[in-house]
Amino acid sequence: MALKEIDLNMGPQHPSTHGVLRLKLAVDNEVVLRVVPVIGYLHRGMEKLWESLTYVQVVPLTDRLDYLAALSNNLGYVLAVEKLAGIEVPRRARYIRVVLAELQRLASHLAAVGFMANDIGAMSVLLYGFEAREDVLDIFEEYCGARLTVHGIRIGGVPHDLDGALVARIRTVIDGIPKHLADIRTLLDENRIWKGRTVGVGVIGAGDAVDYGLTGPSLRASGVPWDIRKDIPYSSYDEFDFDVPLRTNGDVYDRYFVRVEEMYQSIRIVRQALDGLPAGEISARVPRVLKVPPGEVFHTIEAPKGVLGFYVKSDGTDKPERVKMKSPSFINLQSLEHMCKGNLFSDVVGILGSLDIVLGEIDK
Amino acid sequence: MSRLRRFLKMAFLLDILQGLWVTLRIYFSRKVTIQYPEQVKEPAPRFRGILRLFRDDQGEPLCIACKACQRACGTNCFDIEGKKEEGSKVMRPVKFDWKLGRCSFCGFCVEVCPTSAIRFSREFRLTGVGKEGLFFHLPDMYLAGEALQEHLCAGCRRPK
Amino acid sequence: MTPFVADFLIPVGKIAAVILYPMGMVVVMIWLERRVVALIQGRLGPNRVGFQGILQPVADAVKLFFKENIMQRQADKFLFNISPVLVMFSSLLAFCFVPLGEPIQIGSYTLTLWIAESPVGLLIILGLSSISVFGVIFGGWASNSKYPLMGALRSVIQVLSYEIPVGLTVLTVAFIARSMDLVEIVRRQESSGVWYGFLMPVSFVVFWISAVAETNRAPFDLPEAESELVAGYHTEYSGMKFAYFYMAEYAHMVLVSSLVVILFFGGWLPPFPSVKALSFLHAVPGFVWYLIKIMFFLYLYVWIRATFPRYRFDLLIRLVWKWLIPLSLVNFLAIALVRYLL
Repeated sequence: MALKEIDLNMGPQHPSTHGVLRLKLAVDNEVVLRVVPVIGYLHRGMEKLWESLTYVQVVPLTDRLDYLAALSNNLGYVLAVEKLAGIEVPRRARYIRVVLAELQRLASHLAAVGFMANDIGAMSVLLYGFEAREDVLDIFEEYCGARLTVHGIRIGGVPHDLDGALVARIRTVIDGIPKHLADIRTLLDENRIWKGRTVGVGVIGAGDAVDYGLTGPSLRASGVPWDIRKDIPYSSYDEFDFDVPLRTNGDVYDRYFVRVEEMYQSIRIVRQALDGLPAGEISARVPRVLKVPPGEVFHTIEAPKGVLGFYVKSDGTDKPERVKMKSPSFINLQSLEHMCKGNLFSDVVGILGSLDIVLGEIDK
Repeated sequence: MSRLRRFLKMAFLLDILQGLWVTLRIYFSRKVTIQYPEQVKEPAPRFRGILRLFRDDQGEPLCIACKACQRACGTNCFDIEGKKEEGSKVMRPVKFDWKLGRCSFCGFCVEVCPTSAIRFSREFRLTGVGKEGLFFHLPDMYLAGEALQEHLCAGCRRPK
Repeated sequence: MTPFVADFLIPVGKIAAVILYPMGMVVVMIWLERRVVALIQGRLGPNRVGFQGILQPVADAVKLFFKENIMQRQADKFLFNISPVLVMFSSLLAFCFVPLGEPIQIGSYTLTLWIAESPVGLLIILGLSSISVFGVIFGGWASNSKYPLMGALRSVIQVLSYEIPVGLTVLTVAFIARSMDLVEIVRRQESSGVWYGFLMPVSFVVFWISAVAETNRAPFDLPEAESELVAGYHTEYSGMKFAYFYMAEYAHMVLVSSLVVILFFGGWLPPFPSVKALSFLHAVPGFVWYLIKIMFFLYLYVWIRATFPRYRFDLLIRLVWKWLIPLSLVNFLAIALVRYLL
């Protein structure tokens, strides 16, 4: 019996593509044969733009890449520049950066789980996740003035200090997040409909995941224990005690579960960082006009969505010669076809949601 | 025993009932919605609202037209010219053009200003209906409240 | 009572009631669904248009009224136009056979609270509500586009499969009540003193799940899901025709709730109808009890929608053929055996 292929188009405007992503699907009577993502609808020429700005002026623009976890982008770029320029960041600033980065991870995972659930039909989970996320964004508003495009890290340290009131507020918030998570978990974890839709769907094995360059929680759901925070620690992550959640099946359910577990670990890290916050400066002395010695560096961090890498090449002036950003979502999107093959096309939306992509960092 | 327990849980729809209980509880809980515009949430003290110029306690403008903000800005929002008046020790700006449409609210201008003349306000209601409302000249940079809203609506082509 | 009143005015009044009652409930449902789903999600929902937002359905109706009625050039005009009508028609016609209470004595005239009573009323209602399948498939076909057609086909398979457990479970009720007349079923519940929902909980649960699937509501709403790829059989409809589909779905929900209440929860009877000590509950008119119970099931519909994810189509079909149909068959045999032995 010959295959009867139908071409379907999930256009750039779609309620569930997490941005302007176009998916060209080839479907044989409900079973997906091919998935070709078409990207570029959000391209803004960021990397070229950065070549005409100074190192310091680039930092606020990195917020706009992965807009759901803006501070991680800031951190990645700033760490790369500091490595190139040889700037030593004081310990207190490193701890504050860890607190902010883990709070940002909480916010990003809450949004990711919410969107994943919404795509599969559980609309209320999205709103519960966002209600929890609001508390985290309120902290960012208190700290640096903005909720989404935070610009909460400067080259050399952090802009503001964490005083007692803010520390108390952070503690209250992270004590309240597990209650929201418990509600979300009751609605999803054991639910037969959720398990029927996610267990065994969108499976990618460990070997294939590594071949496709998949990183982040999706990789750890397939059983590969790679986490930059543990394997190539930065910003004093090696001084904290936390686990890296690992699952073995590599399906949508495991990717959801790993993200939920990572949220608990983030709360653990924030508590340790706040308890052990050392005294000291919050920023190194950085000249007003930062001239970086010539050279190139490639530095990676563990952003909430995967491994975020910045390649910075300097020619000795105060403007970078070339900045290249290796975004996790761009690489993760490659594995979408492998995951979708053989599944029904109503699963495509769920699988895309579990990959957790943001078009801002794919298209730059 | 555990197989029996699992079968009973499945047969009696335990997971379904637990989910329904969670949503029922939240149905009766107090909602955190703030009903704008009758209720307004005050932004945090460090909130990055629109940029404003400030005067000192005697009412003298703080800006000394050093153009540090213009140099620090990454998106070319500023166009400043200053002049030192006769018999005065400080420069004063004669032209201070600022484009709200280009501002990315990054805060570099605020950080580098030596006199804290330019600072973030907490005004987040920045909608207007005309492009002319996005251009601010020197006197406009001191506007606040209703007068600021009037300015943002400049260029409206709707008949009054 | 002059013949004019008895033979003309009253029937016309009943017909008007049969149209206004479900339509009125539909209007209430539009508001109820949006408010209740919002409150479950932790937000407020429409609360500005009128007191607590009760005029929101009016705003929705006015908006839909002013939208442009688009139709594709290659669409089949007749079928395109008739499918919303068919879906609405089947729900409304079934309401003719739904009784609302015991007959009322006005002087020497007995006012019956239904338009028609038939010894096989149950069968007729089930049959009439199945006509809506035609509306769905005509709508999908006439839209001349592959997404609505696929959505319509899925919907048809879903509705037809779930008819079987519906039929088997209502048969258990008919068995115990020894009648398929709806009024008779309620009277038997009164005389036996226990509502059939408590006597046969398995029947009730299977019937409820199948009824939710019949009305294409969450979690069985894949044929019309908003965030999936295929947007369902009413993709190409806009304006008033879409409003018709929308209202017909709510009318069907009200019909199903009425059926559940009559078959399993005693219709217009107060709780514990034959307990002497609670006979003061009879002072409340039966229609009020009826409405309270229907509102509970409508709330249940909305509550379920806001809580659960959506079933994928193959899981849906697997559920009905592997679990619900065998379960309802076994249940039916068990009830028949019990009836035979007792």
